[in-house]
Amino acid sequence: MSFYQDIVVTTALCAGAITIVFLALVLRRYLSERNRARRDERDAAITRSYLQRVAGHKVSEADTWPRRARLKAISRILPLLRGGERTRLLQIAELDGVLRETLRISHSLYRSSRINAIQSMQQFGSEACIGRLREMMASDRSPRVRLEAAFALGANGALPPPRETLRLLNALCRQPTRLDIALLRSAAPLYPEQMLLLLEDELQDAWRVQIIDALGWSDNMGAIDTLDKASNDPDPEIRCAVMRASARLGHPAARRWIMIGLTDPVPAVRLQAIGASVRLGLRKAVPAIAQLRHDPELWVRLRAEQALEQLEPVDDVTPQAAPVA
Amino acid sequence: MSWAGTIYALSTGIVWIAFTCFVVVALRNLVALAQLLIAAWVFLTRVKPGDGARDLWHRYADLALPISVIAPAFNEQLSIVQSVKALLALEYPEHEIIVVNDGSKDDTLGELLRSFDMYEAQATQIAALQHTKILGTYRSRRYPNLLVVDKENGRKADAANAGIGFARTPLVCIIDADSIIEPDGLLRAAEPFMYDDRLIAVGGAIRIANGCTIKDGSLQKIGIAKEMVPRFQIVEYLRAFLMNRVANAHTNTLTLISGAFGLFRRSTLVEMGGYRHDTVGEDLELVVRMHRFMRDNRREYRIAFVPDIVCWTEAPAALQGLDNQRARWQQGALETLQHHRGMIGNPRYGRIGLLALPQIVLEDILGPPAELLGYLVLPAAALLGLLDPMMAVAFFFVSVVFGCVLSVGTLVLEEQQLKRTPSARDLLRIGMAAVVENFGYRQINLWYRLNGMRRFFRKDSTWAAVPRAGFTSA
Repeated sequence: MSFYQDIVVTTALCAGAITIVFLALVLRRYLSERNRARRDERDAAITRSYLQRVAGHKVSEADTWPRRARLKAISRILPLLRGGERTRLLQIAELDGVLRETLRISHSLYRSSRINAIQSMQQFGSEACIGRLREMMASDRSPRVRLEAAFALGANGALPPPRETLRLLNALCRQPTRLDIALLRSAAPLYPEQMLLLLEDELQDAWRVQIIDALGWSDNMGAIDTLDKASNDPDPEIRCAVMRASARLGHPAARRWIMIGLTDPVPAVRLQAIGASVRLGLRKAVPAIAQLRHDPELWVRLRAEQALEQLEPVDDVTPQAAPVA
Repeated sequence: MSWAGTIYALSTGIVWIAFTCFVVVALRNLVALAQLLIAAWVFLTRVKPGDGARDLWHRYADLALPISVIAPAFNEQLSIVQSVKALLALEYPEHEIIVVNDGSKDDTLGELLRSFDMYEAQATQIAALQHTKILGTYRSRRYPNLLVVDKENGRKADAANAGIGFARTPLVCIIDADSIIEPDGLLRAAEPFMYDDRLIAVGGAIRIANGCTIKDGSLQKIGIAKEMVPRFQIVEYLRAFLMNRVANAHTNTLTLISGAFGLFRRSTLVEMGGYRHDTVGEDLELVVRMHRFMRDNRREYRIAFVPDIVCWTEAPAALQGLDNQRARWQQGALETLQHHRGMIGNPRYGRIGLLALPQIVLEDILGPPAELLGYLVLPAAALLGLLDPMMAVAFFFVSVVFGCVLSVGTLVLEEQQLKRTPSARDLLRIGMAAVVENFGYRQINLWYRLNGMRRFFRKDSTWAAVPRAGFTSA
């Protein structure tokens, strides 16, 4: 065969192969559409059965229901249930072995499969899922998977103590990311005292900043003394974090250093102080913010204008009449 | 030169032309095949979008970078209110809508002012990137995150630049006023920015909205247009977004983020001076210039692509309208290559200089004339006995049959991974379009692209709007 004949034959084979794959997919879709009514009926029966079991009623269980269909039905019901009902459903699901497949996939060789399994486990948040997620966070070979597992635990309020979280994610030897910030904030209400203890460690300033920021999410008013002390820190990033945390915590004592923050020499701190004033509805700060409309920094001026619109009563800002085009 | 000598020289010339056409077309398709395989790998190994991190972003909304959605509008009186309502309803922790009325001749501005209870405000422009005069800025009493900028007419690039100048957020999303953004499109597009601080731009997959049911500026039901031209374009968009862009983003050689939806870091855009005003292909030019700017300044950066659909757009429903659009795209590509010719093959620009731009040269400069010429020269040379007739058959297979393979391959990817085609019947219809487009439509497109080349050489800068048929309302 000549070179050109080779090209023709190879291309024809490729075309044939891809056409067969495509037609198979069309057929799969067609069959799926044809069986939709039957599938919907079955899904409704599974849903009904689980709801009855959660309520403690007797049901005539059909063992032929595939595990995947049960998993789908439970995923649908789960967001609708709260408290005891939710816990009972999760227990029943575990007893039925519905999550066995997901737990098996969580051991997959492929990183993407393990992460997809983590997302399912996050949604369920049952004891078995939390246990497996902790295991993955501690020992998975992929840092991304460990991080995803940490997120799933965070979403279920089951993160380990912050020091352990940071150690497992190997976080302290790099700069914090937005994901780390979110994790610290998730850990803060669970371990408020440990967050304060963490600040006593030898830490990079970048991490100290994020831990102070997370204190705002701890709902622990005991953190206010630490914030007070940090409000005089020479590092402007830390002073910024203090403003954010104070605004979030909403303790009245914070007003003092927020007012001082409005005259801070660093523009970023002034910006954060304006934001904190707005969040706390600090009308006492209005004159100082009005002064900031003449700040040398453009962003401070813009933020001050915006803040005044939010802090001053609506009557104070008289919008011009809309011209009719 | 003797008659025999002339004939010999002529036949040698024809043979060389035939060989060149064959090599160019084969090379083009080999690149596309490599892209298809890379895209398949990306899809197979990607993490499907889930609620994992998103759940935390909902709780800690301030960690999601605020976005200004900039919608340049020109003569959009009939649809602007619905479009803006849909934009205001997008799912994102903090986003502002900046509508730039680009000197509309109709009552686009009046519609906006009346419908959103707007008053004239003295909004501060942080960077004046536009070339035309700003006539006024308006804020809404009902929607504090809506700003309307009224300016003199100056085309989309100028309007987008005006909007960028008014944006205060770290990210700006530049769209067409008639783009239909998926409700979670902003969230999906912004997610990569949360993982990587080096990111300066993110593009997303765009689909054809012809045949879909649209209500209040939102997509209600996915459908397939009855006409063949939009169906062919569905196949083209699938190839462009699921194959080309996914593969290019994976190999860090992405040079195009569609004008219908692009998310950019505002500070980088302002530093670069925004869009260029003197090109008809401003979206391609912007991304290429971004690469150039970042590499010239030795900054670390990344440009990403989200393969999930973020936006739907109306495509020309007939050949009339498509001709102008395709000629403009071709002209834009050539203008970009001319502006940045120093980057082509230049190792200083890394993969962009050595891979991405030569690929555009192959695709946009050499490809169209080589393919069109090949259709004429190869059969003629074979008939005259100058070439092995099998070569002409092989050319047909390399260009047309292989084109079908690539299109159907992309459809396989779509069905296996995204499944956004409404039904098996529609899937089959698009599959048929993927085959049929190679017999006629593809060649007509090559002709339009040659027209684009002609416009480029004549420095024709006229811009004709693409006629729209409008959407099916629910």
